[in-house]
Amino acid sequence: MITAEQKPIDEIREMIAPYRRILVVGCGSCVAECAAGGQKETAMLASTLRMAAKMHGEEVLIEEMTLDRQCVKEFVLLLDDVIDTYDAVLSLGCGAGVQSVADMYPEVPVIPGLNTEFMGETKDQGYWTESCLGCGDCMLYYFGGVCPLARCSKHLLNGPCGGSMDGRCEVDPDIPCAWQLIIDRLEKLGALERLEMIYPPKDWSLKQGRGPRKIIREDQQK
Amino acid sequence: MKDASRLKRVLEAGEFAVTAECGPPKGADPDVVLQKAEKLKGYVDAVNVTDNQTAIVRMSSLAACALLKDAGLDPVLQMVVRDRNRIALQSDILGASALGIRNVLCLSGDHQCFGNQPQAAGVFDLDSIQFVEVVRNMRDGGVILGGETLAVPPDLFIGAAANPFGDPLAFRAVRLGKKIRAGADFIQTQCIYNLERFEAWLAMARDRGFTERACILGGVTPLKSPGMARYMKNKVSGMDIPDALIKRMEGVPKEKQRDEGIKICVETIERLRDISDVRGVHIMAIEWEEAVADIVEGAGLFPRPDTDQA
Amino acid sequence: MTNNRKPVLALFYCQNVPDGRKQERQSLEKKYGGSLRLFPIPCSGRLDPIHLLRALEEFADAAYVITCPEGACRNFEGNRRAGKRMERTRAIIRSIGLEPERVGMVMGSREAPKGLPEQVEVLMESIFKMTPSPVHHQGCQPCQYDEIPDEEKNQ
Repeated sequence: MITAEQKPIDEIREMIAPYRRILVVGCGSCVAECAAGGQKETAMLASTLRMAAKMHGEEVLIEEMTLDRQCVKEFVLLLDDVIDTYDAVLSLGCGAGVQSVADMYPEVPVIPGLNTEFMGETKDQGYWTESCLGCGDCMLYYFGGVCPLARCSKHLLNGPCGGSMDGRCEVDPDIPCAWQLIIDRLEKLGALERLEMIYPPKDWSLKQGRGPRKIIREDQQK
Repeated sequence: MKDASRLKRVLEAGEFAVTAECGPPKGADPDVVLQKAEKLKGYVDAVNVTDNQTAIVRMSSLAACALLKDAGLDPVLQMVVRDRNRIALQSDILGASALGIRNVLCLSGDHQCFGNQPQAAGVFDLDSIQFVEVVRNMRDGGVILGGETLAVPPDLFIGAAANPFGDPLAFRAVRLGKKIRAGADFIQTQCIYNLERFEAWLAMARDRGFTERACILGGVTPLKSPGMARYMKNKVSGMDIPDALIKRMEGVPKEKQRDEGIKICVETIERLRDISDVRGVHIMAIEWEEAVADIVEGAGLFPRPDTDQA
Repeated sequence: MTNNRKPVLALFYCQNVPDGRKQERQSLEKKYGGSLRLFPIPCSGRLDPIHLLRALEEFADAAYVITCPEGACRNFEGNRRAGKRMERTRAIIRSIGLEPERVGMVMGSREAPKGLPEQVEVLMESIFKMTPSPVHHQGCQPCQYDEIPDEEKNQ
């Protein structure tokens, strides 16, 4: 899932300040899972913004709506019926969701209410960690299911570096050394010899070599 | 041959090599580098120049190495993979060789969060082991990554760093092996205070035949004070400083502490010389280059051997 | 100049709080006129920040919740969850300049259990000392409420 956190309220208020009729649009997918932009959070933010407006004597209409997925055209189209009522949209989708809405309604200012962060897992309630960089060439098999690109602070393929101590990363003792995790995991799997190999330099062109990426599947088209 | 790496010649001649470290300044003044060179000249076989150590912006290692070369020293160009991608790294290798620099030490580099540019993108396009392999292939195969041939290959003695005191110990053997297979000619270790643990690591290296394939130089750093010892023990990752050593430093009056630090350093070197398969010492006296002369003399390693005669 | 508007407390309470049934609720709301609005909920753990925020947004000067005593929640952790959500709600209203004391939580006591009327009386005393919420009174001078009239207290 993609994780995000709400922007500070002051920043949001500054961006929506010029507008008088605002629709706060939430998303029921990833950002709902990380409690940043789901229906609940959308309702909370809208209420908070309305209170702040009242406190400052601002005349502004703030309403809310949540889409199942803000990054899918079919769902975004549901805004067709209501979009003309508003002069701006405050999107609580991830970066993809915000842009999806903005691309659909280019005349409507679409303001991001979240800071999108990483692809990761819900490790536990209220706890999310980064685990995937979207490199386009998954090597998780070789590293026992622990990604050295996303979870090693220096994304080394032949780690650990000299800063690994007590299984902790030099950057922050709260961060486990990914290479310690890899070594431990491969040991459990009886596959430590995989680490004797010198992994060649990563092909970064699969991530950034041809600009922003796309996938086209003709078998999926209408 | 005067243009060859002096460090390489000394090691090939079977002599106990001495290298030291030089940190470039936080400024554009070449004289700072030349003054440091003066303090080290004649006492060392080669001088490592650090590369934006701790991710703090300093004069580039490559430039400082060129200055040291002109001053008659044999520089070891330290290169971290944190700041440059493979294009820049390979380019700098060619440039270094063109400037007559004959030694390179391939490192990961401290994470950018530690320095004065924490907002910088950490590159890490290659890691240190891949980098060693790239340089070896450039030198011996005359090719860059991808296989394209070089008009003239670089001439470089290739080094890597090793930490005998890091975790996990068993894996350190694998890591050292990878560096040597990748092409490391020499290894400089993290500074040694715990000789027993160092000897255990070296025994492991010897058992695997590593000591025959690469020259291992033991690192040493003179302590300036008990505070410095405590700081290194507690705050710097991958260091092993026995409490007995800290007590020894504490037991000496303040004005004699630096001398004691040098004494400990000299004793460590003497013990290293007794261990077979330690081919030299790497003295890291950061911002205390004056100590190098005292240490080298104290350890009976002055003057340095004359290797110009073939 | 004193403000004639009475303060309004939105009070959510766990249905397991003693003496909180429909009859008592209606009689309490009558006693305090428009100043008290009661909302029974199945468990205080079910309380979401949105309930408190909407109350503050629409009519309340303060929004509180009464939970069961520590360890006595029939749904085990309900009252503890309520505490965490309370903190979150406070942080949210603080971020727009609203006093965090406008939301609060009262935990029942096992040793000296209090019924709803008793809890309400204590709460309303402090509510009457609060300045009117700037959400409903922007531009007004912050001012104290009148004392609760004796006739109303004695009802």
